[in-house]
Amino acid sequence: MALNDYRSTMQGCTRCSYCKFITLAHIKSWRFSNGCPSIAYKGFHTYAAGGRLSAALSLLEGKSSYTEKFKEIVYQCQLCGLCEITCKLCRYDMDVLDTLREIRFKMVEDGQVPLQHTSLINNLRKKNNMVMKTGVVPRKWAQGLNVKDLSKEQGSVVFHASCEARFDKGRKKVARTAVTLLRDAGVDIGIMGQGEGCCGGKAYEVGYKAEFNQCAQNNIQAWTKAGVKTVVTSCSNCYFAFKRLYPKEANANFEVVHTVEFVDRLIKEGRIRFNKNVPITVTYHDPCHLGRLGEPYVPWNGTVTKVFGQITKHVPPKPRYIGAWGIYEPPRNVLKSIPGLKLVEMERIKENAWCCGAGGGVKEAYPKFSSWTAAERIEEAKSTGAAALVSACLQCERNFTETIKDNGQKMKVYDIVELVQQAL
Amino acid sequence: MALSNGAYQSLEDIVGTEYISAESVILDSYAWMRANELRTKDRSGFFIRPEAVVLPGSTEEVQAVMKACNRFKVKCKAFSTGWISLAQPSGAGVINMDLRRLNRILEIDEKNMFAVIEPYVIGSQLQAEVMKLGLNCHIIGAGGSCSPLAAATSFIGNGADGIFMGYSSETLLALEWVMPNGDILRTGSLGAGLGWSCGEGPGPSLRGIARGTTGASGALGVFTKCAVKLAPWPGPAEMPVEGTIPAYYTKLPNNFREYTVTMPSWKAYTDAYYKIYDAEIGYIGHRQFSKLGEDLSTAFFALYRDSSKSLDDLEEFTRKPEIQDLTDELRHYSFQLILAGMTPRDIEYQEKVLDQILAATRGHRVAAMSEPTTAQFVLLYLLKLHCKHLNHVYAGGKSQYFRPDGSPDYAIEYAPFMIELLKKYQEKGTLVKTGGDSLMGTLSGIGGGGDFHFEQFVSYNRNDMESINAARELAEEARKLATERMPGSPAALVGLPPDVMLTAIAASSQSIRYHWQWKIKQMLDPNEVGESAGYPMLKEPPKE
Repeated sequence: MALNDYRSTMQGCTRCSYCKFITLAHIKSWRFSNGCPSIAYKGFHTYAAGGRLSAALSLLEGKSSYTEKFKEIVYQCQLCGLCEITCKLCRYDMDVLDTLREIRFKMVEDGQVPLQHTSLINNLRKKNNMVMKTGVVPRKWAQGLNVKDLSKEQGSVVFHASCEARFDKGRKKVARTAVTLLRDAGVDIGIMGQGEGCCGGKAYEVGYKAEFNQCAQNNIQAWTKAGVKTVVTSCSNCYFAFKRLYPKEANANFEVVHTVEFVDRLIKEGRIRFNKNVPITVTYHDPCHLGRLGEPYVPWNGTVTKVFGQITKHVPPKPRYIGAWGIYEPPRNVLKSIPGLKLVEMERIKENAWCCGAGGGVKEAYPKFSSWTAAERIEEAKSTGAAALVSACLQCERNFTETIKDNGQKMKVYDIVELVQQAL
Repeated sequence: MALSNGAYQSLEDIVGTEYISAESVILDSYAWMRANELRTKDRSGFFIRPEAVVLPGSTEEVQAVMKACNRFKVKCKAFSTGWISLAQPSGAGVINMDLRRLNRILEIDEKNMFAVIEPYVIGSQLQAEVMKLGLNCHIIGAGGSCSPLAAATSFIGNGADGIFMGYSSETLLALEWVMPNGDILRTGSLGAGLGWSCGEGPGPSLRGIARGTTGASGALGVFTKCAVKLAPWPGPAEMPVEGTIPAYYTKLPNNFREYTVTMPSWKAYTDAYYKIYDAEIGYIGHRQFSKLGEDLSTAFFALYRDSSKSLDDLEEFTRKPEIQDLTDELRHYSFQLILAGMTPRDIEYQEKVLDQILAATRGHRVAAMSEPTTAQFVLLYLLKLHCKHLNHVYAGGKSQYFRPDGSPDYAIEYAPFMIELLKKYQEKGTLVKTGGDSLMGTLSGIGGGGDFHFEQFVSYNRNDMESINAARELAEEARKLATERMPGSPAALVGLPPDVMLTAIAASSQSIRYHWQWKIKQMLDPNEVGESAGYPMLKEPPKE
């Protein structure tokens, strides 16, 4: 696909502004009604999805050219997908998120990228990770876990730790806890050890498709060689890459399961049992990549025709990604099953969740905007009266933790598996 | 940059570097609008670029921008949520003032039932806040994403709940108005330092000049704050929303009833409207779902309520016998009515009154539409108007080429020929074949003995030049018909290019009114800073 292939989406925008707010039916207050972090932060219409579609069309038609402002407009967006959902509330002919991604692919081709992303991608090329950490030995995250190393042995279930867990001290414990939980529940789980590579998801989001493809090929080959059938991860970004992007871009055919889904399954099967109370009130943050973007990829091959004069019809019906079938209930099931724990919901949840602020390369290129976005979510979490903000994504967790620390706040941040472990 | 450096610098000094831009990519995003392709020569959605866009953050900044515009002789088009081409400059040399940063709900006076809002508060935000206090607000027909202030001060403002809460023109109380010369005028009680509760005194009572019937769309300055009336809400403090996107629905207590009623003829239809109005029953009264066409709307809304379906399934849905039966039952003479009882006796009373009206007009409640899951969907839809972008659902393009306002008898008289006209164009295959009747409309405002509003939709494909051209041709033919048969109707003229509109209104029976508007403009805005698209004016008195 090329940007021009998305012309109908660009031309289809009516400037309704639905992309700026959560779904209108779900607005519970003025304070937490915004949906798109970018326009909420910058103000100009151009920073909403509708404005970006016009910007892209303006570029295609030669009305605008690349400038620093253009670059900022495109990249000061987390690609959180809220606009995709709210647009599709009333439209069946729009591919907003794919268009926003395609603008970035084109900008990479044209050499128009933020400097910070160039460094990020160079790091990926050289060190096979996207967190730009030095001096941390990747193998150490799994030391002493006593699970299979699938770079040397065969196994059907692989746990993908993610760059965040392999290279960030704070996130390492989440991966270790997840593996321990699954292992102790009798899951024959393995890891790729030194052979684990970056999922490539972030490279894709910042527009580097070739680098993403390389990551995908590396992982697919390694998993295939090890006999892997199921990929488990605690990182929602990786989950999205494996679940949606690998089948779409690389024809991969693995079962992809997030840790929370697996743990939910194990609790229901009685393979994880709780013995302790965890007396805490928490609120749950739906990661974008696990929630509204967490729907499985469904391949489509068919023809396009018109019915009733001008209505586009796909034969067979084309799959539609509207955030309806994201992973919303498993994390809530797990939290609700923990004795003593009370779950209170924020106003913007599930398909309407406000982004943590870290995605789409924003944390790397626009850290202030990233922190502002996280701070907005933390305010919403505090408004529930919860003592802790819980998520199921290492990137969200890191951004919240760092923002809370930077702002001198005290709210605790947990990954779900940490609370599960406390209850064992 | 066409704007002089001095003018740009002056504006930048007012709003700060962050909130002004003349970058082409930003200007183009402001030049894009729905239905622009029906008025541009190349059929592009991009219309004329503003010279710059400014985002003031306070009344004082708005005032300073207007003064700078006078100083530099620059025109200004202010807008809030802006889902209409009237939010855009209609010619060169105009800056856009995006009021997005003025987005606060300043006060909700529970006892006196009004709210004070800024321009970028949207209907859905205000509604959520006032419902917590047992109140509700008028949401205009374009839906919850639109600005109540813009509708109350600057545009028409009809809506489904008008019969109970009033149209926007009826809900406007005191306002803060930055005049075109930069002076601030506070109207009604606010002008006398007595708060926001009254729009008509003891301070200046200028509602007629500020907004009149259809609003000035920014031609007479900028309204930076206003108070709007609120209405009782006999439902929960937070309306429960269930269901999987997009098939959301609500379950409300038994004091709410949702009905789609259907009549045997247009005559019976209008009789029912008058009787409902006279009996003062109903919380929402709207002919809503027919907007997607008499042939397709039932099938569409059935698939819309199944999250796994899409337009790819529309044909299949139209073939279902139960859908075909319902399509026939709803054809032409049906509308939606929501009753909300303030007490158990009230809802009982309203039901009995409706029974009598239906008996007198030989109408009936459509049973399939009152089936619980359908009724729950309709209740949420009409009470929140949260998915009005469905107007564009078929192929992105939608326009209202015919929109009479007035008594039901007046508006209905023109419905049959507008239906036939749309059928004629749809037969050519370049428009979406929805069926000729795509008339949507509100039942009434509070005053005027039944102020009925109708809009006939045409759905076209924004990505198909032939389809755009067909919609344009249809609009032109409809315009000719409207000016012949409905001379002077302002609503029939909305959206015309200014030159066409002026020619039409000069020949109309109400042309004096447009001369009066020119006089107002001369008095309030001698430098013509307020951009005048959407505020039709004749510069000469009408000829006898």
